[in-house]
Amino acid sequence: IKHRESFDNIYLDLSKNYGKCRFADSGFAWKPAQGGDTFTLQKEELQQAQWSRAARGYELRVLSRSNGINQFDGFQQEDFDRLAKAFKIWYGVNLDNKEHALRGWNWGKAEFGKAELVFNVQNRPAFEVPYTEISNTNLAGKNEVAVDFSLTGDEDAGTNGHLGGARAKGRKLAAARDQLVEARFYIPGTVTKNALKKANGDDGEE
Amino acid sequence: SLNGTDEKKFKTFDSYKRDNQFPSRVKDMIICVDARASSIVVPVFGRPVPFHINTIKNASRTDEGEFTYLRINFLSPGQGVGRKDGDQPFEDPNTHFVRSLTFRSKDTDRMEDIMVQIMDLKKQSIRKEQEKKQMED
Repeated sequence: IKHRESFDNIYLDLSKNYGKCRFADSGFAWKPAQGGDTFTLQKEELQQAQWSRAARGYELRVLSRSNGINQFDGFQQEDFDRLAKAFKIWYGVNLDNKEHALRGWNWGKAEFGKAELVFNVQNRPAFEVPYTEISNTNLAGKNEVAVDFSLTGDEDAGTNGHLGGARAKGRKLAAARDQLVEARFYIPGTVTKNALKKANGDDGEE
Repeated sequence: SLNGTDEKKFKTFDSYKRDNQFPSRVKDMIICVDARASSIVVPVFGRPVPFHINTIKNASRTDEGEFTYLRINFLSPGQGVGRKDGDQPFEDPNTHFVRSLTFRSKDTDRMEDIMVQIMDLKKQSIRKEQEKKQMED
């Protein structure tokens, strides 16, 4: 029986530098290759795990009680089996293999989930927008919702070399060379105030 | 055509069939124009997201400070002009649409180039569509 699984060349939250991701029965850790602070997550915290194609190879996306959504990309396709086994046996969490929509359609359903807005095309996610990355949402016109991701002038804010340059919450878009700053959706009918509140990071329960 | 109903039938299209068909440049989290797939692939929080040229209305560019902003407008209902029934499945009133995506970058020249490539791809696809129609008539 293996007691540990480890993977090299993994990026945490779209970090600049890669690191090593280690999984054991108590939880898992990510350590930047160049040294520095280590990111850890205990198994009790884990709620959901998803496996999908990302820009750099494949991505493990976890939802935890303490941290919300964390992304780990740079995995190889063949890593899935080892990872799925680790999650199942050690954490009792299913690693969902989520195939994303590749049709290239701009129509579908925008769904406001627990921690992110998901745009689905034919019941497959096309992309996800974590609420932590949204700075504002508003009704820009009839049936039109504008979602802003504006950053301050300093595009690298939030990295500071901490955790290998992992992007802090609200700073993830700065990782790309071409940075998404606004998305507009056509959403017919009434967009509930709760949905917008949720996306704005307010409590939408009331 | 026989009675016009054929023309209104939506012709489906796909950018990709499998996720290993993306251009390798998507790893740099930049906007990629993939003429072979008649598509553009944009980075959304580390995810490569394809959009077929048939969904794109136009693209525009503005410069502000050190950044160049590229706005990609998609075909969606309620835009008045340029809408042709049958081009898109507008029939379901509950469908949501991505209406526009705006990106910023410090690479002004590359942004300009992307915009030109998108417009060229759009022109090409319209021309192909017209040629096809003429052949059918």
